[in-house]
Amino acid sequence: MSTLAFLLTQGVNALSQAALLFFLGVGLTLIFGIMRIVNFAHGTLYMLGAFIGYSLVRSTGSFWVALALAPLAVGAIGTGFELSILRRLYKRDAHAFLMVTFGLALVTGEVVRLIWGSDALQVPPPALLSGVVFLLDEPFPTYRLFLVGFGIVVALGIWQLLERTRAGLLIRATSQNAEMVRALGIDVNLVRSGVFGIGCGLAALGGVLAAPLVTASNGMAATAVIDAFVIVIIGGMGSFLGSLIGALLVAFVQVFGNYYLPDFALAFMYLVMLLVLVVRPGGLLGKEA
Amino acid sequence: MRQTSLLPALGGLAVIGLLIAAPLGLPAFAMTLLTELLILGLFAMSLDLMVGYTNLVSFGHAAAYGLGAYASGYLALNSSLPLPLVVLLAGLLTGFVAIGVGWVCTLATGVSFSMLTLAFAQLMYAIAFKWTAVTGGSDGLAGIPRRPGPFGMTVLTTKTGFYYFALASLLGAYFACRQLVSSPFGAVLRGIRENEPKTSVLGYNTRLYKIAAVAIAYGLGGLAGALYAPFAGFANTELLFWLLSGQVLIMVIVGGQGTLIGPILGAAFFMLLEHQLSSYTEAWALFFGLIFIAFVLFAPEGIWGLARRAFSRASLTETRHG
Repeated sequence: MSTLAFLLTQGVNALSQAALLFFLGVGLTLIFGIMRIVNFAHGTLYMLGAFIGYSLVRSTGSFWVALALAPLAVGAIGTGFELSILRRLYKRDAHAFLMVTFGLALVTGEVVRLIWGSDALQVPPPALLSGVVFLLDEPFPTYRLFLVGFGIVVALGIWQLLERTRAGLLIRATSQNAEMVRALGIDVNLVRSGVFGIGCGLAALGGVLAAPLVTASNGMAATAVIDAFVIVIIGGMGSFLGSLIGALLVAFVQVFGNYYLPDFALAFMYLVMLLVLVVRPGGLLGKEA
Repeated sequence: MRQTSLLPALGGLAVIGLLIAAPLGLPAFAMTLLTELLILGLFAMSLDLMVGYTNLVSFGHAAAYGLGAYASGYLALNSSLPLPLVVLLAGLLTGFVAIGVGWVCTLATGVSFSMLTLAFAQLMYAIAFKWTAVTGGSDGLAGIPRRPGPFGMTVLTTKTGFYYFALASLLGAYFACRQLVSSPFGAVLRGIRENEPKTSVLGYNTRLYKIAAVAIAYGLGGLAGALYAPFAGFANTELLFWLLSGQVLIMVIVGGQGTLIGPILGAAFFMLLEHQLSSYTEAWALFFGLIFIAFVLFAPEGIWGLARRAFSRASLTETRHG
């Protein structure tokens, strides 16, 4: 393999990893931006997406149906959680959110185990994407290439939503000054329900897309939530662009670190996070110190 | 009035008396549970110094527990030092390392501080995973002995002896912390909790006080971990994992932060609930999660707050009738 081909395949590989991490991180950062909540349940919702995706693939035979419906289902669960529980806590301190989202993580994790059992479940990629393509004569999984494209599409979509639509305007305004938005006659609670649902749905989208690569398993939640934290912390809590940069940085550190220095890759990721925080306590693009 | 202020002290003495007498009446498995509970109580109480008294919300307190556990495990396996010395050294080492951790983390405040503590804990987790020569990697350290001594004494290394060792550590730490928080030093910490800029303007170097609070809290948390390793006989990466940091933070909040005694009760509640639920049902985590959510919604002041409210209500009715 030529050096160029190696760099290209590993680079695209890292980009596909970044796409998955981005879905995780952007949901968490949107939720934090609007609600100042560190959502501990984010990893289990990602896992829930993978398992619901598995069942939908099994029952409908179509990966695409699963890809469309699983995030909607998890988004609805998230919105329901916001309406029934989080909504009562906005006047309380941050500890309350920490505990209820931790509680939600425990409950969701256990429900997943009760419904789907403890075994890892294989989710086949759609037939269209199960082959390989050749990048500079090196074989590369088509599915990973698809992830890169899909990640770009979703990132552009969210960006357009935030910048060009009225809903996006409300989201950005609420994250800057919720009181002022309320004073202008906007139902801030509606924005919060919506964003919490969207954030949870994005985590589930990441889960469905990760399932063909890593199987759906009970263990995926704990690593996912910490990855999501790292991305959001590096990028800056509440920053959309930050979560994109964070996901790219973490993915490249993971992929190339695992290749060149497998013993230090994990430590290196946290070291990067520490360095970023020491230099810029609010993260690369974060507002507050 | 005098009587009501004496009552809590008497209640405390009664609880201590019961704990001292416990090995006489309790079966072996209950003693194991109680020993673990004391260790976990010490761990939760140490975090309260940061969270409850200084408003330094750490998401990475597992770093203290894990570091203490690995240090005491490594010392016990690779030296012939007696048990109490091993535990003490491991706690001191953790506190010493925490000066550096605190120095870095206090560069930031608020959520960023929490995230920095998490970053340090995860870094240690990653190191423990890979530095196989010292930490045993993913297997961890197993077969950690309790070495007799000093002077060949075996009194602390038996099951009951170790229980008393853990009890003495918790009580010692508790009374030391009470002294600390009611001292001028503790007053400055509370000042930082309520209003850091104001405390700073009054002429206190608040950053130095915060670093000291972190070091003391990590040192005591390390002491708890240092007790856990010889208690369980092993130390593994789970002791450094973020999940434990989340759990201990919840013990502090469920118990009632800023009260020292509350987090110990929180730890007991957490452990006993887990133990009870897991004996009734496989799906204990489900009910565990639901109970947390219910706690936040209906009992925001924590267990100790509930208990105190119930107590003051009871004593009020007593005085009214008496």
